[in-house]
Amino acid sequence: MSEEPILQVKDVVKKFGPVTALSGVSIDVHRGEIVCFLGPSGCGKTTLLRVIGGFYSQDRGDTYLDGKLINGIPPEKRDTVMFFQNYALFPHMNVYENVTYGLKVRKYRKAEMAEKAREILTMIQLDGMEGRYPNQLSGGQQQRVALARALILNPKLLLLDEPLSNLDANLRAYMRDEIIKIREKLNLTIIFVTHDQEEAISIADKIAVMREGDIEQIGTPLHIYRYPASIYVADFLGSANFLDAEVINTDDKGNSEINTNIGKMKINLTMNKFKPGDRGKAILRPENIKVSLNEPADKSSKGNVLEAEILKGTYLGATIMYEVKIDNEVLTVEIRNPKENELLAPGDQVYLQIPENIHLIEEDESKNTASQ
Amino acid sequence: MFQSGELTLKRQKDSIRHLARNPLQFSLALIIGLSLVLFIVVPIIYVLARSLGAAEGVITLEYFQNFFDRSYYYRALSNSLILAFTVTSIVVTLCFMYAYLVARMHSRLIATILRSIAMVPLLAPPFIFSISLITLGGRRGLISQLLASLFGIEFSIYGWTGVILAQIIGLFPLGFMMLENVLRSMDLNLEEASSDMGAGQWKTLLGITIPLVMPGILKAGLLVFIKSIADFATPMVIGGGLPFLATDAYLLVVGQHNMEMAAVLATFLVLPTMIIFFIQNYVLTDKTRTTISGQSGVTSQIKMHRSIRGIFTVSSILSAILIVLAFGVIFWSAFVVIPGVNNTFTLDHFSTRTGWSAMGTSLQIAAISAFIVAFLGVIQAYLNVRMKIYGSRIMEYIALFGMGVPGTVVGIGYILAFNQPPLHLTGTMTIIIISMVLRHLGVGLEAGISKLHQIGINMEEASWDMGASKVLTFFRVVLPLMGSSFMYGFIYTFMCAMTSISAAIFLVYPGTTLGAVYILQVAEQGAISRAAAMALVLISIVALCLFTLTKLISRTHLARM
Ligand SMILES: Nc1ncnc2c1ncn2[C@@H]1O[C@H](COP(=O)(O)OP(=O)(O)OP(=O)(O)O)[C@@H](O)[C@H]1O
Ligand SMILES: [Mg+2]
Repeated sequence: MSEEPILQVKDVVKKFGPVTALSGVSIDVHRGEIVCFLGPSGCGKTTLLRVIGGFYSQDRGDTYLDGKLINGIPPEKRDTVMFFQNYALFPHMNVYENVTYGLKVRKYRKAEMAEKAREILTMIQLDGMEGRYPNQLSGGQQQRVALARALILNPKLLLLDEPLSNLDANLRAYMRDEIIKIREKLNLTIIFVTHDQEEAISIADKIAVMREGDIEQIGTPLHIYRYPASIYVADFLGSANFLDAEVINTDDKGNSEINTNIGKMKINLTMNKFKPGDRGKAILRPENIKVSLNEPADKSSKGNVLEAEILKGTYLGATIMYEVKIDNEVLTVEIRNPKENELLAPGDQVYLQIPENIHLIEEDESKNTASQ
Repeated sequence: MFQSGELTLKRQKDSIRHLARNPLQFSLALIIGLSLVLFIVVPIIYVLARSLGAAEGVITLEYFQNFFDRSYYYRALSNSLILAFTVTSIVVTLCFMYAYLVARMHSRLIATILRSIAMVPLLAPPFIFSISLITLGGRRGLISQLLASLFGIEFSIYGWTGVILAQIIGLFPLGFMMLENVLRSMDLNLEEASSDMGAGQWKTLLGITIPLVMPGILKAGLLVFIKSIADFATPMVIGGGLPFLATDAYLLVVGQHNMEMAAVLATFLVLPTMIIFFIQNYVLTDKTRTTISGQSGVTSQIKMHRSIRGIFTVSSILSAILIVLAFGVIFWSAFVVIPGVNNTFTLDHFSTRTGWSAMGTSLQIAAISAFIVAFLGVIQAYLNVRMKIYGSRIMEYIALFGMGVPGTVVGIGYILAFNQPPLHLTGTMTIIIISMVLRHLGVGLEAGISKLHQIGINMEEASWDMGASKVLTFFRVVLPLMGSSFMYGFIYTFMCAMTSISAAIFLVYPGTTLGAVYILQVAEQGAISRAAAMALVLISIVALCLFTLTKLISRTHLARM
């Protein structure tokens, strides 16, 4: 890494009585990044965010902001600002007072305060609402006030706890773009908590998938989607077919052959180091499998071609999900932008093309996650 | 509570038609409504009328003239106001710090201990603490003797110091309960957001927390104020002859049978309640800020700033010590011959037949009243919320008002209104029970109303849907679901009835006395140890009943509701 991370979390443990909310989390966040904590309810996302913000003090481990150790430093002395899940607007202050609160406690001059407030309120399109009280604003407006209140302080690190979860679909898309735009304009570093994978993929530079108080995998959305480290991660980001697999042979370029329930397949093992005889789980994303009624002409250039039978089709507008059967295994296949004449009926015999870049997960990692 | 605009004319007509079709509901509503008017409104009208000379059949301001001419009564008024203001400010300040500490404390155990200490004065009649203070600071008191022997200072607790201190202890639970409640219901994310944006904790406390809980602080203050002004027993025991409104109203009735002047004083006593009631219902409602939040926040783990923690802890420890000391002294004086003079252990103070029989009467009256309040509360709440009967809102107001009227006023009003036909009730146990019931009905009612709102109507609709009649539904579905509000009304009324004194003291009659009244009478005669002993008995009875009832609740399905 060329540059020192703006935030370093090292081996942080946080317990609430008998509950271990964080069990030794480590993560680095770099300047200008949007990092997303993704995970199911109760996995410790909020807790980690609150440890970083100084609202909880960890039982063990260190946090560094800009190279300085910040363990035990109270929130008011940290250069991080939290955007609360419920906005936490001060109900007894109007929009202007709410937005300038942080400046006021920093003893800014009146004129300077007004100037900054105007700038930020224009940016998030709240100009003209300065005199309103929070209960006179719509949900979306309240949210933007809360955002303005955080942004005006130009924090080193902006912490957002499920900022979009209370919004309807339209407003959510709008706010998402807004956050991305503002971030580019101000070159902010943002940590963002969500349990919505699409949100995470569309906003984040990096996603940290959390599980039971620890980070299971961290990386770019593409990388995590393409090369999940475990079934848990693969399952959490989109749907997947999992096949038990055994490596038959492999060469030094990674070109290999595996044996699965649905037959032998050629795959390209670049990410993991496998030896012949190793067992694992092959991950097939439904949208990576092609379906055709006729046998493809040049089989060898089309990856693995397998014969299958359609069990069921579910029409979902932009896509069709098919359940197909090969031997005794049922796979889910997704066809994007289907044409009218391409609808297949149960019982149809089809050919599946499975590309060679199948991802394989080592057995021992998938053992205890099989139920996920 | 429901919106005021809800009772449209159409609804009124509907509800009248509805009532006509439901004779049971109609008669219930009528009975409750009439009792509220008869036993809360009418006595107060009697008091007001008497103060204006109604006994002679003319309207005259002569008695008010007398009141202002006599500097003694005038001073009673100003003393009462000064006392109430002083006590209110001190209690609210101390309770705020105490409640803040308890509400924001990380250790559950210590919080529970502190909370129990703060609530413990509820177990005893409030004037009890005067007895402990006299034991400590009276003429022969421990502290007085110590000061005299060490510094030659003559110290006496009688007068302002004693009254203020005793009322602080007695009213502490009221202030504490309300403030802890508002502090706990406050959205902690607001405090966190404030400190997150760089505000120190003092700034957050003064700029965010206090403004946000201000409605609660005011409400607590108003209640403490009313209670302080209405308390006649404390000044009587420890006031050292200073004039106070409530005390002198009592003395005028009992000593001089001067009902006119007593009525004038009572008028001044009831005025603050009326004003405050108005403020509370029209000024403090709705417009107070509600927090805006989707999800409620998590508990705060931020450490309190050292200076805040320091100051709040010291003040709270002092408050706690004062309360514990007051109780400890009662305990001690109950078991020694003459506290501070002859400290030999004795059980003599407990052997009083009158005392024990008074306790028995109290227990009987408290249990009956509590049951009636709890039952009527559920029924009235149901009529109010579900039947939307015409006038139910007024009935609710009267019931709430009845809780605020000083007992002295109620007592005087009852003597005036019910000592002749058609309703000659004085000198019976009935009237004591009626006074207890009507003065606490508001609590049962409010508990019932909030429970009904919480339950929602769906369950009843389901029952009707399956063919059960409204009456059957009420007994089979509503009543069991309202168990917890019933118990709440019962426990609250029971405790108040055991410890309250002000209305009852006017209504006891020869041969029958109540526990709290008996204690006050012996304390007034200077039999401090006997008073302490019987107070201990009373406290034990209340604590025991409370313990049994809460155990009972947590054992049964009520705990889950
Ligand atoms: N203040 C607290 N006291 C006790 N336990 C807590 C507290 N805060 C969190 N926990 C526990 O710690 C674990 C992690 O909670 P956390 O709030 O971090 O989850 P989350 O990932 O943010 O979930 P969600 O998506 O539902 O917001 C949970 O088991 C939770 O019950
Ligand atoms: Mg959360």
